[in-house]
Amino acid sequence: MPEPSRGIQISRRRWLLAGLVAPLLRARASENLIVTFDGDNLHLSSLGVHFLQGNSLSRLKEGSTVEYIATIGLFRDPYVSQFKRIEHHFFVSYDVWGTGDVFAVSTPGPPPRRATNLSLSGTETWCLERVAVATSGIAHDQQFWLQLELRTVPPKLSSIVSGGGIHLDVIEVLTPGQEERQTFRTGPMRLEDMPRVRGRRG
Amino acid sequence: MKSAWLGCLLLGSLLFAAPQDSDTNVNARYTVETVILSGKGWTTNLQSETTNKISLGLLHALTGIIGQKVNPGYLDTLAQNLKRELSAREVTHRIVRGGAPEHVRVEFEVRPARASVGMNINQFLYNSKQGFSGSGEVAVTTGPNVIALGLVSNADWTPERYSGIVARYEDKSVGTDRLSFKFEAETFHTQWNQSTTYAMEANPQDVGALYRSRQAFQPTATLVLFQPLTLTVGARVERFQDEGPSATVEAADTVMASLHYHQSFEGAAWQQEFDADGSLHSATRVLNTDYVYTLRTAGVRYEYRRGKQTVIDNVWGGYLTGIAPLSDRLVLGNAEYLRGWNKYEIDPLGGNRAISNSVEYHYGPLQAFYDAGAIWDESQPVVARHSVGLGLRESVFSLAVAIPIRAGRVEPIFMMGILP
Repeated sequence: MPEPSRGIQISRRRWLLAGLVAPLLRARASENLIVTFDGDNLHLSSLGVHFLQGNSLSRLKEGSTVEYIATIGLFRDPYVSQFKRIEHHFFVSYDVWGTGDVFAVSTPGPPPRRATNLSLSGTETWCLERVAVATSGIAHDQQFWLQLELRTVPPKLSSIVSGGGIHLDVIEVLTPGQEERQTFRTGPMRLEDMPRVRGRRG
Repeated sequence: MKSAWLGCLLLGSLLFAAPQDSDTNVNARYTVETVILSGKGWTTNLQSETTNKISLGLLHALTGIIGQKVNPGYLDTLAQNLKRELSAREVTHRIVRGGAPEHVRVEFEVRPARASVGMNINQFLYNSKQGFSGSGEVAVTTGPNVIALGLVSNADWTPERYSGIVARYEDKSVGTDRLSFKFEAETFHTQWNQSTTYAMEANPQDVGALYRSRQAFQPTATLVLFQPLTLTVGARVERFQDEGPSATVEAADTVMASLHYHQSFEGAAWQQEFDADGSLHSATRVLNTDYVYTLRTAGVRYEYRRGKQTVIDNVWGGYLTGIAPLSDRLVLGNAEYLRGWNKYEIDPLGGNRAISNSVEYHYGPLQAFYDAGAIWDESQPVVARHSVGLGLRESVFSLAVAIPIRAGRVEPIFMMGILP
């Protein structure tokens, strides 16, 4: 008989389950991703996708450059068997002398591109407009699921070289900066079902 | 030789690694108006004030960005260097609008750490005549206290190769920031080069015996007399287990004192650094020691930097009287003094008189040097030796070829590694 002072007991299985589920909760999945098809490529709409927020936005407003990585995965089944994966990198910064909240963004390409004087939502739109997935190899009647993952690159670890030799901060290595991650999902879909939109140029 | 080439490739890649791209930050077009450094209960505006919380080198680096365009990658580097020097938990930086249009203020905020754990490689050196030398440690820092445990194998600084364990405790602020205390303990196993054992057989009376191991304890206290001048006093208790069947243990107990002076001067386009130090180690009968000797050393180092160019002159000398253990005898022909000469060739037992001068010219990472020096024993004639060398030096990474100037065949010595 359980002791009254111990209250509700949590079994080891529940702790194990909680441990397994906890990392999944960080990848907040949203099902409202809008995908369009121009005949050659899939494009994503920035409607409902907001990633300039949280700690990364604070870092931006302090004048740092924040690197975002947008990863698109296409799956044969609900987010298990991936058959296509594309990664784009964006470097965002906040103009401290801009009028209002003004951002600049660049992508290493190829080809490298850059835009300045963008609003917060304009920056998010600019980034997502450059994310495209070629549909070559995908049959028009093939059913697939799409996942967009947006994450920040944590600040770099300290340089290990100093005037006195080489120094490694063990605590910093064991507790690196947290990356921010957001996941957006949609599916199932088929190319033949998608209305065609006019092609976009990056 | 394979390791030498491998080292060349590694160092080359480090020296010529691509710099960080500052084009990704829109604020790179603005000019830094001032740099503000702040911590718990203190703030320093480096445009109008100075601080002694950080080294002069880092202070110069921070003030050097005033008037320059913002380089976000370099700000990260400066924040990392501040973190290391101040043993901080975190140093963040922010760019905010300055007083004048298109100008910004850079603010560094230091958050102190309760404790930190670091792994340090203080030296790693390959010398084609003497092999590898290196030292590393794990250090735990809590406030002004440091406890460290390290491993050493060194064939560069003394006539022997000593390998073993070092431990130290340091309190960088004993009641006041002007006084620090350090206690070091060492235990080393010793290996002798064949040249040293031959020289010892030929000359067994004038120097201390060969030993197989040594242990030492060394408490020291350092007092800042006035800002650029420090005085260190302490003692060293050392035991040597001699080679041979009897394995006699001999003692060398010394008292020591040293003075160190450091001054920096800075103009609009140049910087100068001046260092001078002198030390005295004395083991007398009063201390009930087997070795009775006095060692005096003195050195002056001057550095002038202008743009990418640097000129350095380093003079050093030592004078030893009495019979000292081999580990305390003077050495030239290593990675610092009279580079290019092999110490096992010119002074396999070390000497009791030495004088050395090095002149170096650096242009960016390129380095050229000319060393001159002499090492001898009291009864011997003085022979002046010279060497020249070329190399690359970037931060702590060094790669050099040094050639002794002498008649006959040319035998260059190749050196590379991490040197503080």
